[in-house]
Amino acid sequence: MFAYIARRLGVLFVILFGSSYILYNLAAISGDPLEALRTSREPNAAQQIITLTRELNLDVPPPLRYFIWLRGILGIFVGSPDFGEARTGQQVSEMIALAIPTTLRLVAGATVIAIVLGISIGIITALRQYSRFDYAMTFVAFLLFSLPIFWVAVLLKEFLAIQFNNFLSNPTISPPWLIGLSLFSGIFWAAILSGDRKRVLVVFSGVTIANAALLQVLSVTQWFADPGFGPIILFLLSIGVAFLVTHLSTGINNQAALRSSIAMAVLTLVLYYPNQWLFEVDAKKVVFPLMVLTLFVVAATVPLLFSRIDRGPIIRTSILSAFIMGLLTVVDKLMQTWRPYMETDAVYYRPVPTFGQTNALLEPGNFWMTFLDLLVHLFLPTTALLLISFAGYVRFSRGTLLEVLNQDYIRTARAKGLTERTVIMRHAFRNTMIPLTTIMVVDFAGIIGGAIITERIFGWFGMGTLFNQAINSLDLNLLMGVFFITAFLAVTANLVADLLYSALDPRIRAVSRSK
Amino acid sequence: MARIKNEKPNENVTQGGENAIQNKEIEGLSQGQIVRRRFVRHKAAMTSVFVLLFLIIAVFTSLEMKLGPFRWRGWWQFKYDELLELRTEGCPEGIVGCPTLDAVPSFIDGTPMGLGRHPFGQDDIGRDYFAMVMRGAQRSIYVMVVIGFLAAAIGTVVGAISGYFRGWVDAVLMRFTDFIITIPSIIIGSVVGYHFGNLGVGFLAFYLGLFAWTGLSRLVRGEFLKLRELEFVDAARVAGASNRRIIFKHILPNAVGVIIVSVTLLMSGAILLETALSYLGFGVVAPDVSLGSLISQYQDSFTTRPWLFWYPGIFIITIALSINFIGDGLRDAFDPRQRRRLTKKDKERARAQAKIAAQND
Amino acid sequence: MKVTRKVRFAIAATAAAGLVAGLVGPAQAAPKTTVSIVQSNALTGLNPSVTNMNLTFNVDVAYLSGIGFNYYNNKATLIDNTVLGTYKVVSQKPFKVQYKVNPGRVWSDGTPINGVDLLLSHITSTAQYSVIAGLGDPGDSDVTPVFDSLGYGGIYDEHIVGLPQLSADKMSVTYEFDAAIPDWRLVAPGVAPVHTLVLMAEGKTKLQSVAANNAARDKFLKYFNTYNKKALGAIGKLWSTAYTINKVDSSTNPLLLVGNGPFMVKTAVPNGAVTMVRNPRYNSGPKVKSLKTVVFKVIGDGTAAAQALKNGEVDVYAGQPTADAVALLKSMAPAVKVIGGDQAIYEHIDLRVGPAYGTQGSYNGPFAGMSQQAVDLRTAFLLAYPREEIMEKIIKPINSSAQLMNSLMVFPSEPSYKEIISKSGVSKFTAGTQAERTAKALALVKKYYPNAAAGSGSVKVKLLFGQPSNTRRVAQAALAKAELAKAGFDLDTTPTSGWSSFLSDSKFDAAFFAWVKSAAFQSGNVGTYETQANDYGYSNKTIDAIYKELGAKPLSAAEVTARFLKVDQELIKDAVTLPIFQHPAANGVSAKLQGVNPSPFSPNLVWNVWDWYFTDK
Repeated sequence: MFAYIARRLGVLFVILFGSSYILYNLAAISGDPLEALRTSREPNAAQQIITLTRELNLDVPPPLRYFIWLRGILGIFVGSPDFGEARTGQQVSEMIALAIPTTLRLVAGATVIAIVLGISIGIITALRQYSRFDYAMTFVAFLLFSLPIFWVAVLLKEFLAIQFNNFLSNPTISPPWLIGLSLFSGIFWAAILSGDRKRVLVVFSGVTIANAALLQVLSVTQWFADPGFGPIILFLLSIGVAFLVTHLSTGINNQAALRSSIAMAVLTLVLYYPNQWLFEVDAKKVVFPLMVLTLFVVAATVPLLFSRIDRGPIIRTSILSAFIMGLLTVVDKLMQTWRPYMETDAVYYRPVPTFGQTNALLEPGNFWMTFLDLLVHLFLPTTALLLISFAGYVRFSRGTLLEVLNQDYIRTARAKGLTERTVIMRHAFRNTMIPLTTIMVVDFAGIIGGAIITERIFGWFGMGTLFNQAINSLDLNLLMGVFFITAFLAVTANLVADLLYSALDPRIRAVSRSK
Repeated sequence: MARIKNEKPNENVTQGGENAIQNKEIEGLSQGQIVRRRFVRHKAAMTSVFVLLFLIIAVFTSLEMKLGPFRWRGWWQFKYDELLELRTEGCPEGIVGCPTLDAVPSFIDGTPMGLGRHPFGQDDIGRDYFAMVMRGAQRSIYVMVVIGFLAAAIGTVVGAISGYFRGWVDAVLMRFTDFIITIPSIIIGSVVGYHFGNLGVGFLAFYLGLFAWTGLSRLVRGEFLKLRELEFVDAARVAGASNRRIIFKHILPNAVGVIIVSVTLLMSGAILLETALSYLGFGVVAPDVSLGSLISQYQDSFTTRPWLFWYPGIFIITIALSINFIGDGLRDAFDPRQRRRLTKKDKERARAQAKIAAQND
Repeated sequence: MKVTRKVRFAIAATAAAGLVAGLVGPAQAAPKTTVSIVQSNALTGLNPSVTNMNLTFNVDVAYLSGIGFNYYNNKATLIDNTVLGTYKVVSQKPFKVQYKVNPGRVWSDGTPINGVDLLLSHITSTAQYSVIAGLGDPGDSDVTPVFDSLGYGGIYDEHIVGLPQLSADKMSVTYEFDAAIPDWRLVAPGVAPVHTLVLMAEGKTKLQSVAANNAARDKFLKYFNTYNKKALGAIGKLWSTAYTINKVDSSTNPLLLVGNGPFMVKTAVPNGAVTMVRNPRYNSGPKVKSLKTVVFKVIGDGTAAAQALKNGEVDVYAGQPTADAVALLKSMAPAVKVIGGDQAIYEHIDLRVGPAYGTQGSYNGPFAGMSQQAVDLRTAFLLAYPREEIMEKIIKPINSSAQLMNSLMVFPSEPSYKEIISKSGVSKFTAGTQAERTAKALALVKKYYPNAAAGSGSVKVKLLFGQPSNTRRVAQAALAKAELAKAGFDLDTTPTSGWSSFLSDSKFDAAFFAWVKSAAFQSGNVGTYETQANDYGYSNKTIDAIYKELGAKPLSAAEVTARFLKVDQELIKDAVTLPIFQHPAANGVSAKLQGVNPSPFSPNLVWNVWDWYFTDK
């Protein structure tokens, strides 16, 4: 195994060497770096051509010039790789060091949500194969998959930023919107909860009316201008979470699990005001880890009061509930920050931005303000990426789960009399994850390469922008720097995927060579 | 079946009955017939087949075409690169070349339905936008098909061989795949564009296809690694089947579901890839057009001349959607264990049969 | 599901109980004092005089943080900044110019500005100085000079004699040139806070007292006069590299940010926004009306920038001049106004007369040489070139007041334009309708190709233009192809990627592209048609002579006009080129922002930021 990995890594460097050599030479002949100067009417254009030739070593032919670049890179073995300077005079390594976190921030969130949402929907559609919901989701997934991202971005910006900001200046929901939104959620929930006609009708009308009432109240109270849960709603939501998590994790019949989850909800309520105080304490670096730690410790110990046997699943349930409730508390705090955030000069009542990573004018110092600022800037690009990328996960997880569900061991599990929840969550879902994991690994590596268009449209400067800039300005050092990182990650990810695949599925012997 | 005692006998009966119906239905049919039957039953897929066929025929016969000595006149009156008088009558203030398509019947808006002279409007210099969209759709479908087939062929063969033989063959092929993955295809496009000028859409599709197969090959390889360990492969080997026969006759049909889903996603992805490349200036270049180049060229028109943005967009979505649904139908049809959804009538019949079976016990 | 619904009801009930209430409405107190401007590329450095930092954004930031002896206004006129100081010719023979700094002008760190601050400019624009001081030869193709400056090899470098002379009170500097250079006002030295460089070279990272600053500056004067290689080497290294920053925060060395401009960089987020605040000590230029903060935000995509403008995130956006972009901006009225105008860029069509100057090979295309046939065919081509249609269909939607450009020497907005076009003979190409001109063209073609007719494609012409992704150029080519076909031409209109590398390639018979004018030199565009600079093999002794004359000494406006007219007459007589249009500009500006009035020259938009102000309507 170890020898295998070592060998693969060795080959990896050979591949990188080969492809970087080819790429360097290709890129070098893909245009003329002196182009702009040839049409320049500057009196000292000739001098500038000399300068540029000198700086880019244009007098050395590309097949040899490559080794100038390689010499810097080889410093990686003595711990100080030199990626060279970009044409703008900046260090390529610094540019990449700045770009990677940006790209990660942009795409990591979107990818994680896409995976979670995609797999959940994929599973529901597989379980309700050929239902109305299945058809609807398939249609929506394919539709979103077929949209060009710059198109999605234009629409999102128009409706979720510009129009929503307009709406916020007077947050009352007009009747057509109210009716439309209510009908939509009614149809959505009725489609998910398929059943006979009567049940569908009940669900539909119930949800529609409840939604309309809710929206009306939110509208009348101008909730959107100053949102928040308050302790009571937070508590009610936590109770809901307790039920839902218990249901998915151990089954609602497990009284001990349910009780400890509800205990967590009660704790959330009791700790509401102390939390508000803690949130304002300055020493965030100390307080937050402490709070998280306490959360896990409490969540792990409380179940001990409710049960003596089979504590594992109960602790799991309780930790999961506590975690979600903690998140809800944080969401509530963020909502409370909304109004002060809107009232700052930097934001000035138009909180949803259409581009950028942060608001440059926002005074630093207030943690929650900065955090909220980060989130609103992530909102649109994440949504756009999410919309177009989750379709793939829906389709793959649906297909895989359908395949798994038809396997004999599932039939066996059912025949044993296991509950449907156990069969799906424990037997089917886990096996579905095997092929998906490997897809995810490779996807993640691809993501570092950057979403060129998304980054451009939303004014983010990640790896995609660097790549595009490098190609357009024939900036070889920059291009090779970006290439080196992305290629390295892509090839490594494939290695990881291979290893994962054989680790997760014992039937596969990719690693062994004996034949 | 009915012998299994359970708290919910009814459900079980139905399930057992389902199998019975399905087994009955496929009795005596060849694999091909079963697949065909299943596919025909998939409503969304069948609709998509018709939509796509109609689209392809309409799109490819609309414009003048020359194929060797043959010359097709085309049913649409204008050519895509023909400069025409810019129409302004009936357009909003300050807008030229608005569409003449009237899809609203006369009893609603008082004017009869009809195509008019320029149903999709005109571009800035007067070219007929309908003809341009038709041309664009031709190019995009072409790109999509070439990329799809090329990637499917290379990806399947590479994946199958390396997954089946493993060992050094696998190592070499997979490292070659890694090598291809690392080279950004845009670079090739810009090198060629710079040195040889515009080699046309055929070349674009070809080189993109040469780079698009890597994901598929890994997937197929994974599938082969899994399938080759199964009993039926051993059985075939014991029976003396050649490697070639095992790969193509035994394993491949079992992996075809995965391949098809991934190829259809790849094909609809190809349209989007071409769109994205056009947006970045590396795709189909003027004076030729593709749906992608049109939509990226006119993204600014979103609020002012939305038709320039919507029509190519609608074509992209329709084509991509159809392809995906067809893929979905094929997947379901190829899956040997896949059950079809039963109608109420089927279920009733099943229940009745189950009763009879129980009585016979 | 049940739970969810219960929760929804609970939310509704709680909300109704009035837990959250209150009205919010933007109640604006005073007009804004912060302006946000779109930039399409990221900031890469604060010293655009260094070769690799000369990018638009860097230039804009540097313009706001440091002001010199003159700047261009919106009419492309060079305005003297008499607040900072004055300059004049003090002697004709030898030609001497004196620059005098007004007393009391200060840097943002409080140090008074004087003549020593002008001297760095001499080092960075004179190759000779660099060589003597042992700082590297800028003409050497292997070693980069210590001061990696963009300024070498220009007019100043060519004509300066000796070192600039500092007056006794150190407030003025006199420069001697070897000839009366016509563009002497354009070579005004920049002012630079040299004391900060000296201090940084000594390792300082904090602002120092005025006394220490003055002492540091005196050291610089000493280094300068003695060509001190070691000290200047250290300073040069800093000057070339220390300003390569894209991140400014409290940890940035404040010495890097010292300037005499109205604004100074406060923060810069890597690849993101750059925030500039008022320089409290600013007294070196026009008074700032009311702005307190200028923020540059980076958005590469045009539609994205327009939408940001619509969302109120930015106030000014130099739009991409396409019809749709302009229409998009116009559709945002009344919150946004569109300020159109012209850029100092003109599109023109060139016809090849012979191989490019200095290249091997020959050219045998239809337009080759000066024979009657070649001239006739070129005339026919230019007659049938649908300039008006291009104008109507492609440019008018962007700038409705745009007009056809008919002189290669001056823009329509310049005072001498009317006189020049009335006498240059360009009426040959403007008289009548396009149909009549095309008919004339066909007649000319028929003289040499008897079978020529509309659509006959008798004369094959390969056209160079690009990029393929430039839809405006592609549309122009399509229009030209259609009209020229009526005169018997067959135009090959395949766009060329990387077109400008092919300008001297003889396989192209014609090309259309744009010339960019970056400064108001006395010689204007004449240099473009001078024999040695011409990629299209055109050589005209009259034009060459005029070019020499214009570069030799300052001339009066009337004298310059007369020479421009002569050049235009020659070009039109030989039918080698025609201008088409001046590139339009389209700036989207928040309706509340007043005073935006872009200049055709760099730094186009921000040249008069000091005049901008917001109204509260």
